Amino acid sequence: MSSLLTRTRRDLISVGIASAAIAGAWPFISATARAAGGTVNFADIGVGDPGGDWSLFTEASGWNVNLVAIGNAPSAILNVLVAGGGTASYDVINIVGGMQKPLVDNDLIEPLDTARLPAWSRDRNIAEFLAKGTRGFNFIGYQDKLYGVPTVLQGDSFAYLPEKTGPLDSYGALFDPKFKGYVALEDNYTTAGQKTALYLKHADLAKIENPADMTPEEIKTVVDFLIEHKGKGQFRVIWSSFQQAVDLIVNKEVYVIDCWEPMVFVAKSKGANAVYADPKEGYLLWAMAAYLTKNPKRSAETTQAAYALLNFMLGGWYGAKITLLRGYMTNTDAPEYAKAHPDQFPAGAAEKVAVITDNVHHKFAQGGTWQNRWPKHVDVYETEWARFKAA
Amino acid sequence: MSRNRSAIRFVSWCCLSVVLLVIYLPLVPPILFSLAPGEPDAALTLRWYLALWRDPVLVSAIATSLEVGIIVAIAATILGLGAALAIRELRVPRLILALMLLPLFVPGVSMGLATALFFRLVGIEASLVKIAIVQTAWALPFATLIVVTAMSTFDPVYLEAAYVSGAGRWRAFVDIELPLIRSGVSGAATFSLILSFNETIRTAIVQGPLNTVQTYIWSTYRQVGLSPALYALMSLLILLTLGLVAAFVVGGARPPREVSVGDFAAASSQKP
Amino acid sequence: MLGRFLGRWGFPALPIAFAAVFVLVPLALTIVVSFWTRVGLVVRPAFTFTSYAAFFAGARLLVLERSLIASIEATALSLLLAYPIAYFLAFKASPRAARTVLLLFTVPFLVNYIIRAFAWTWLLGRTGLINALLIATGLTSKPLDWLLYSDVAVLIGLVTSYMPFMIFPLWVSLAGIDRRLIQASWMLGAPPARTFLRVTLPLSLPGVFAAAIFSFVSCFGESAIPVVMGGVGYQMMGNSIASAMDVLNYPLAAAISTVVLVTMMGLLLLWYVVFDARAFLGMILRPRG
Repeated sequence: MSSLLTRTRRDLISVGIASAAIAGAWPFISATARAAGGTVNFADIGVGDPGGDWSLFTEASGWNVNLVAIGNAPSAILNVLVAGGGTASYDVINIVGGMQKPLVDNDLIEPLDTARLPAWSRDRNIAEFLAKGTRGFNFIGYQDKLYGVPTVLQGDSFAYLPEKTGPLDSYGALFDPKFKGYVALEDNYTTAGQKTALYLKHADLAKIENPADMTPEEIKTVVDFLIEHKGKGQFRVIWSSFQQAVDLIVNKEVYVIDCWEPMVFVAKSKGANAVYADPKEGYLLWAMAAYLTKNPKRSAETTQAAYALLNFMLGGWYGAKITLLRGYMTNTDAPEYAKAHPDQFPAGAAEKVAVITDNVHHKFAQGGTWQNRWPKHVDVYETEWARFKAA
Repeated sequence: MSRNRSAIRFVSWCCLSVVLLVIYLPLVPPILFSLAPGEPDAALTLRWYLALWRDPVLVSAIATSLEVGIIVAIAATILGLGAALAIRELRVPRLILALMLLPLFVPGVSMGLATALFFRLVGIEASLVKIAIVQTAWALPFATLIVVTAMSTFDPVYLEAAYVSGAGRWRAFVDIELPLIRSGVSGAATFSLILSFNETIRTAIVQGPLNTVQTYIWSTYRQVGLSPALYALMSLLILLTLGLVAAFVVGGARPPREVSVGDFAAASSQKP
Repeated sequence: MLGRFLGRWGFPALPIAFAAVFVLVPLALTIVVSFWTRVGLVVRPAFTFTSYAAFFAGARLLVLERSLIASIEATALSLLLAYPIAYFLAFKASPRAARTVLLLFTVPFLVNYIIRAFAWTWLLGRTGLINALLIATGLTSKPLDWLLYSDVAVLIGLVTSYMPFMIFPLWVSLAGIDRRLIQASWMLGAPPARTFLRVTLPLSLPGVFAAAIFSFVSCFGESAIPVVMGGVGYQMMGNSIASAMDVLNYPLAAAISTVVLVTMMGLLLLWYVVFDARAFLGMILRPRG
């Protein structure tokens, strides 16, 4: 046995580091287990993370929140929920809404009982934009039942660098030969594809009845149009990550980019002069929804805690925090709360929350088209988009 | 003649340095960005290196990555040793090698989904277990190859000598062979640790409620953009590894111990 | 008796059991699922080739073609770079220097490969470091567009990612060549180039093939580099699979995975047939009487 006891210095160092690491990390690991009530497991795409600070929620309910970062693509969510045993692992998932159909059909989420959400009726956005019978309801409901709590609302268009392009007011800029090679699109047929359809419809370049739910022939027309421009070298790149889009703007790699508004905020904070366009065709409207996963084995206390979390996300502090951090509109309590609590939200911050909220209200007033995350012919969308990418 | 040779040597080292430089070039931007101040035109700052420890999600991700990394390093090395032994002992070495190398030939995305479906079928739910299994399966071919390579320089005649001296199989393996392939074993462990740390795709599909550093970075990169704290974490990793490499080189890797008569005596005196 | 049996075979059997359960079974599951059908959003067991038909008939076949070409190019380039380096480290450098350099090559892998890819975009962009240097030194007057979001960029990404990994098997193979064989060749009067071509190179071929296979397979299944650094819609097989999973078309994703698997298995078989794996396994195989 003596030979096994002979350790090299290297082995000792590695063992030492390992023990120190575990010893150092233990408090954090066990802290989550030490909360009075327990832990709500919250899967989020990153947007719903209030900077890691759930203290107000924990104080009020006695429960911790364990936030897990997941991707926003339907596959990421569904694979994690279906294949990864997710309904047992997560209690609440917060993703871009409109995913009710596949989630409900696969028995993954539960309808919500608004009686357990006191803050529900206070959020006027819900009645205004997401009421039953309107297109907005598709983001939180399915077959007349309510499934999601709207945590974020937003309208998308595109961004541009005014010093390179001058003021722009139409999606046509994305296809303008003047900017050949300096345009970027998002790799997403429900955003870039739908915006293109919106433009084609308004410019009378194609017969599209409803950009939000296109027929296979309409989709093919849109993709043919895109392929034609791709062949002419119109697009520099198709992006698929937040960071990627921000870099494209900050590095001035492109001048016109189909993207989300928070990217403009981040780019501006890094000194770039970028503007989010106000196009005459209107905006791509969407909302994020927080769903309650369907888990028969979950205890009643945990379910109650999950409802408490959903309610918390409809509240003023959470809304203001998310608006401030991410640049999206949240709930109607948020701007008032920020103004009323200067200790938590200094003057500049409260102002920013109010400005962003007004901005998004304006977008919704302008209208456009509601994004459709799961169109009827989604398979055709995907195949056609693959054809665009492979061309 | 020797001047020519040292000129060639010099040029070769220059070319090698250029290659290393190109490989290391992408490590520079993260370090630069980790020092970037929050506001434009402010001075360079080290504050992100402190800020990263105050983010509970990031810290728990680091803890998870470390836990999983250690488990994978130990498991993959032990399994790799066993696999190398199996290749040597059993009559179908090429078949076993093929089985061990299989994960190398499957795209990460496919393997992740396949394993996740399997877990659901069988009912394994514990997140740490699933991540550890998926990463061990990924590291196993590498560990096996490294141990096999180390074993290929070990002459089995030493084992025969040990048997002749009266030692049992296990004793002989542990006392004679293990010390001589020690560098291969620790190499396998280190490599498995590195692979585990770097693994993103498979882990992301089975992760459940736990984050690892890589899945956290992947998710933030895609959804909300990277923060200077993450760059700080990456820079710390780079500096830590470079430090370990330096320590390793300066400490000097001792050559494998020569086998001596004393070892045989020790082995044979401790019969099972 | 059982104790002794387990004692002898238990340990080696463990990894085989592990691999069988956690690798073979999931892969078999994938192949099975690739023949299933999809009704709406639900996957039903069946036996049909619709997914394969969809794959081979559609635009996705172009992705297969592109993956093959890019992987072959990247592997060839990587070999051309890695072999001289491995040769130099095995023959011309001191063991300590060689070990240091090999270790240095592993450090970049602790950095998340997405961050490395994104760092390349920062370096290669129109306003990036490389273009800035080129313009500053007067080598070009306008930024080079083709450095990024092009086939060249993907090649750079793939080569810098996998070439360092290839140096190890090459070095192991070269370092393991019995020096006496080379000395014998010199003594018999062969010039260095001839010795290399007829002695060193053939003896190192198992390592070359191992490195080539590893690089090819990794490039083939790569999903991050094409998306971060590739041109408009540049995709490889990994992206194609993820894209099919995005619409929950598991049978299609499984079919594409199976196609990739079969291609790779073909390569492995080729390796086994052309090179006697026993040579690679070396002395660790006990001579059987």
